Amino acid sequence: MPTLSDYLVLSAILFSIGLAGALTRRNTIIILVGLEMMLNAANINLVAFWHFLPPSPTGQMFALFAIAIAGAEAATGLALVIAVYRHYRSVNAEDISNLKG
Amino acid sequence: MLTWTIWVSFIGAGVIMLMKPEKKDLIRWIALVVASVGLLIGLFCFFTYDLGGSNYQFGNGDGVAWIPQFGIHFKVGVDGISLPLVLLTGIIAFTGVLYSWNIEERLNEFFGFFFVLIGGVYGVFQARDLFLLFVFYEIAIVPKYFIIAIWGSTRKEYGAMKLVLYSFAGSALVFIGALALYYTADLPGGKTFDLDALASANFPVSFQLWALPLVFVGFAVLAGMWPFHTWAPTGHVAAPTAASMLLAGVVMKLGAYGCLRVAIMLFPSGMTANVTLPLWFPAGMSGLVIHHFWSSVFAIIATINIVYGAMVALVQRDFKFVIGYSSVSHMGFVLLGLATLDLTGLKGSVMQMFSHGVVAGLLFAVVGRMVYERTHTRELSELGGLIKAMPFVGGVFIIGAFASMGLPGFSGFFAELLVLIGTWRAFPWLLLPIGIGIIITVAYTLRTIHKAFFGDRRNDMTKWDHLAPVTIQEKVASLMLVAILVIVGLYPPILLNMVDKSSDQFIKHHVKPSISGNLARQ
Amino acid sequence: MNSSNILHVLNLLTPEIVLCGLAFGVLLLDIIFFRSDSVEHRHEQLGCSVIIGLVMVFFIYALQYMDWQNTFVVGHGAFVASRLNTLFKMAVVGLALITVVIGFKTPYSTHVGEYYGLMLFSVLGMVFLISSEDLLMIFIALELISLTLYVLTAFQKGARRSVEGGLKYFIFGGFSAAFLLFGLSYIYGATGHTSLREIAGALQGDQLAKVPMKMLGIGILFTLVGLGFKIAAAPFHLWAPDAYEGAPTPVAAMIATGSKIASFVALTKLLLIGLPAAAGSALSWPTRWHSGWAGTVAIIAVLSMTIGNFAAIMQTNVKRLLAYSSVAHAGYILVAIVAIQASGVPAPSAAPAIYFYIIIYALTNIGAFGVVNAIGSKAGGDDFEHFTGMARRSPYLSLLMLIFMLSLAGIPPLAGFFGKFYLFAAAVQADPKNLGLLWLVAYAIAMSAVSLYYYLKLTKQMYVLPAKDPRRVTSNPAMNTSLGLIGLMVLLMGVFPNKVVERFENLNANPYPIWEAAVPPPPQPEIPVPAPAEKPAVPAPAAPAPKS
Repeated sequence: MPTLSDYLVLSAILFSIGLAGALTRRNTIIILVGLEMMLNAANINLVAFWHFLPPSPTGQMFALFAIAIAGAEAATGLALVIAVYRHYRSVNAEDISNLKG
Repeated sequence: MLTWTIWVSFIGAGVIMLMKPEKKDLIRWIALVVASVGLLIGLFCFFTYDLGGSNYQFGNGDGVAWIPQFGIHFKVGVDGISLPLVLLTGIIAFTGVLYSWNIEERLNEFFGFFFVLIGGVYGVFQARDLFLLFVFYEIAIVPKYFIIAIWGSTRKEYGAMKLVLYSFAGSALVFIGALALYYTADLPGGKTFDLDALASANFPVSFQLWALPLVFVGFAVLAGMWPFHTWAPTGHVAAPTAASMLLAGVVMKLGAYGCLRVAIMLFPSGMTANVTLPLWFPAGMSGLVIHHFWSSVFAIIATINIVYGAMVALVQRDFKFVIGYSSVSHMGFVLLGLATLDLTGLKGSVMQMFSHGVVAGLLFAVVGRMVYERTHTRELSELGGLIKAMPFVGGVFIIGAFASMGLPGFSGFFAELLVLIGTWRAFPWLLLPIGIGIIITVAYTLRTIHKAFFGDRRNDMTKWDHLAPVTIQEKVASLMLVAILVIVGLYPPILLNMVDKSSDQFIKHHVKPSISGNLARQ
Repeated sequence: MNSSNILHVLNLLTPEIVLCGLAFGVLLLDIIFFRSDSVEHRHEQLGCSVIIGLVMVFFIYALQYMDWQNTFVVGHGAFVASRLNTLFKMAVVGLALITVVIGFKTPYSTHVGEYYGLMLFSVLGMVFLISSEDLLMIFIALELISLTLYVLTAFQKGARRSVEGGLKYFIFGGFSAAFLLFGLSYIYGATGHTSLREIAGALQGDQLAKVPMKMLGIGILFTLVGLGFKIAAAPFHLWAPDAYEGAPTPVAAMIATGSKIASFVALTKLLLIGLPAAAGSALSWPTRWHSGWAGTVAIIAVLSMTIGNFAAIMQTNVKRLLAYSSVAHAGYILVAIVAIQASGVPAPSAAPAIYFYIIIYALTNIGAFGVVNAIGSKAGGDDFEHFTGMARRSPYLSLLMLIFMLSLAGIPPLAGFFGKFYLFAAAVQADPKNLGLLWLVAYAIAMSAVSLYYYLKLTKQMYVLPAKDPRRVTSNPAMNTSLGLIGLMVLLMGVFPNKVVERFENLNANPYPIWEAAVPPPPQPEIPVPAPAEKPAVPAPAAPAPKS
C-alpha cells in the first residue's frame, strides 16, 4: 500500500522532469509537453491529498477542473505554435526572436 | 490673501498654456499681468506685515483639513523669514517676464511652465505643513526640465536632466526623512504633518542624529551644497535667462529655506548633539568626541562652498559659468549662517538669501540676456570693451558685481557681515578660510568686469559697433533690481526688522531649548 | 451572509451572468447576422453593442454597490460578493470599456466577433478572480484570464511580432500556471482546505502544530512564483516586454491594467486572508527577519524595482518602456504587501493603500496606452522616434501623455504621487516604533527617483525634440473625451485623495461583517484576519488624526 509521501515523491519527480524538459528544450512542442507534465504532477498531488485527507470532495474536484484547464491550455498552445510556424517556418524557440530589448 | 500668489500663478499658467502660440504679444502681456499681481500682493503684504503682531501672518490660522487620514492640512502663512522670500519670488518673476520679452518660440508653453514653477515656489515659502511644503517643492522641479531643455543653450538637455535628477534625488531623501519623522513623532494630538506641531515633538536625539543629515542634505542639494553643487553651474549655464534668474535667484533659496524650515526647525538637537566617532583608536580608549557634530560638518561644508566656488569662478573662461560658480560660493554664506545656529548668523543668512536672489537675477540677466543674445558669445577672451558699446549694461553689471562682492552700500554687505559675526561666535576658526574666500571673490569679480567690459581690444573695437540697442523692458527690469539692491543696502531695516523679529522667535522657540553647549552665545 | 438559496445566488451573480451572456451573444451575433458585412461595419455594430452591454454591467455593479451593506458568501468562499469586491469589478469593467473605446475600429483581424468575445471572457475571468476566496476558483479564473489574453495577444495574425509575443506570453504563462497549481495543491494538502478562510483557520493557534510547515512553505513559494508571473514581478517578468510590444495596443492595455488589478487583488487576498499566519517578518534584517512569505515578497519587491527601473532606462519602444515600468510598479505595490502582516498584526493601512495604488496605476496606464494607440496608429509605430516632436503635432495627446508619465513617476499633484506616499506610509506604519520596514521604503523611494529619468526621456522626445514630420496627429472625439476624462481623474485623485482613501479604509476595515460557514467546519478558532475586534490592539496610527 503506497503512502502519501510515495505519491508526493512521484509527483515531484514528474514536475522536475517536466520543468527540466521545458527549460532545456528548444522545440516549442516539447516545451508544451513539459508544461503538461508539470500540470499533471500537480494533479497527482491533488488526488493523493484527496485520498489521504479527511473525506471531502474538494481535491477531486480541483483535479477535474485542472485537467480541463490543462486541456484548454494545450489547445491554445498548439494553436499559437501553428500560428508562429506560419510566420517563421519553424517551431524552434531560438528562431522566434524578433522582439528584443 | 497671500495665498492668491500661488493660485494666480497656477491659473495664469493654465490660461497661457491654452492660448494659441501665435498671439505672442497678448501672451507676453498676460504673463506680465500675472507676474505683477504676484509682485503687488507680495509688496502689499511686505509693507503691511505687523512687526508687533503674531509671528505668522497672512495665513489661514490652523489650516484646512486636506487629507485628514494622515493629518495633512492646507496650512499657510508667512513670517519675517519667508515673507522676504515671497517678495523676492515676485520680483524675480516680474523681471524674468520682462527679460523674456524676446522669446519667440512656443511662447505659451514657456510661460505656462514658468508660472507652474513660480506657483510651486510661492507655495513652498508659504506652506506650514510638511506634506504641503513637499508637494509644492516637487511641483517646482519638473517645469525646470522643460524650460531648460526646450529654450536653453549649451548642452541644454544634459544640464536640464542633471538638474532635475539632482533635485529629485534630494527630494527623495527628504521624503524618506518625512515618513520616518511622521511615524516617530509622538504627539498628543495624533499623527500630523503640521510643522509647528512637529517642531514641538522632541524627537529622540539618536533619531535626530540620522534624520537631520537626511533631510538637511536632501534640501541642501537644491541649495548647491558641495559636493552636490555640480548641477548648479551646468544648469544655470544651459538655462534661458529667465530660468537662470529663477534658478539662482529663487530655486536655490528653496533648498536653503527647506534646510531652515524643516531640518533645523524639527531637529535642532541633531545639529548640536555631540557625536563620538569610534575611529582608529586602540581598544580601551573612547572614540573622538566631536562637539556639535552636524552643525560643524555643515559649517565646514559651507566654507568649502565659499572658497571652492570662488576659486573655480576665478578660472572660468565662460562668462555665465563665472556667475554660476559665484552663486555656489554665495550660497555657502547662506548655509554657513544656518549652520551657526546663532541669531545674528541666521539673520545674515536670510538677508543673504534675499540679497543674493536679487544680485544673481541681475547678473544672469546681464550675461544671458543683454550680453549673450547680442554678442552670441560668452567667452571672456572674445568679449572685452563692451562698456563702450553698451554703457548701460556695463554700468548695471558693475553695480551688481559690487553688490555681489559685498561692498558697503549694497544689500550683500550687511548680509555677509551678519553671517561673519555669527560665525565668529560659533566657529571662529573658520574665519580664516572664509576671509581667503572673500578675497578670491573680489579677485574674480574684478577680473570678470575687466575682461568683459574693459579689456585690451584696441585693435578690434569695431566688433561691437552694431549691437542691438537695449530695449525698454530690459532697462525697466534692470533699474528695478538695481534700485532694490541700493535701497536694501542703504536702509537695511526695511528688511531687517521683520527678519530680526522672526529669527529671534525661531531661535527662541526652536533652537534655544535644545542647545546643550555654548554654541550660540547670545 | 451565507447564501445557499439558488435564486439568491443567481441574483447575486446577475452582472456576471449578463457579462457571460454578452460574450456569447457577441460571438453568435457575428456568426448569424453580420457574417457577410464588411469588417469595418462589423466592428461598428459589435463594438457598439459591447459598449452598451458593458455600460449596463457597470450600472448593475453600481446598483449593487449602493444597495449592499452585507457581504454574501457563496459556497465556502468560491464567490464572495462584497462592496469592496464590487468596487474593483466596477474598475475592471470600466477599464474594459475604455479598452474597447481605444481599440474601436482598429482592424487587427477579420475575426471581429471573436475579438470582442474573448475580451469579454477575459473580463469575466477578472471579475470572478476578484470575487473568489477559494484556491480552486482563483486558479480557474486566472486561467480564464490568461488563456483569453494569450489568444488576444497573438490576435493580429498577420503580424510576426504579435504572434511571437503571444507564444512567449503563453510559454511563460504556462510555467506560471504549472507552478501555481503545484503550489496550490501543496497548500491544499498541508491545510486540508481550499477556502482561504478555512486555510487561515487551519493555521491558527494550536492547529498550526499539525500543519506540515515545509510542505506549506514550498506551496507558498510556488504559489508566489505563479502569481509573480501574473503580476510581472521580477524575476518572472520576462514575458511582459515582449507581450506588451507584440500585442495589439488595446490588448496590451488590458494585460497591463485589468488583469493586473485582478491578479493583485487575488494575491493580496491570498496572503491577507488565507495565509496571515505564515507571514514571518521582513523587518530590519537580520535581527528581526523571520522566515515566511514576507521575506520572500520583500526580495521579489527589491528585484522588481531594481530590474524594472534599470531595464526601462534602456528601452526605445514606448510599450516596452511601459512594460518595464509596470515591473517596477509591481515592486512598489509588493512593498506594501510585505507590510500587510509585518509586525504580527495586520497593518491597518496596507491593504487600502494597495487597493488605492492599483486603481491609480491602472487608470494611469490605460490612459498611457490609449495615447500610445492614438499616436502609434497614426505615426506608424510605438518607437520613441515616432513620438518625436509630438507636442507640436498633437498638443492635446502630448499633454495627456505628460500627465500620465509624471503621475507614474510620482510627481504631485498627480494621483501617482499620493498613491506612492500612501503605499510607503502604510509600509512604514507596519512597524512605526522601530521603523522596521524603512529600509525597503527607502530603497523604493530611491528607485522611484531613478524612474523619473526614463519617464522624462519619453516626454523629452515629445516636448523637446523638433518634429521630423510636421503633419498634425488627431484622434476621434470619443477617444479624446475618454482620455481627457482619465487625465482629469488622475489629476483630481491626486489633489483630493481624501474621499477615495476614506472609502477604501472603510471598506477594508470590516470586509466580513457576517461570516458563517455553510457546513459546520471542524472546531475552528476565531478567524484571525482583520476582524474589528482586533483593531484596538493595533496602535492605530491610521485613524483619522483629530484636527490639531
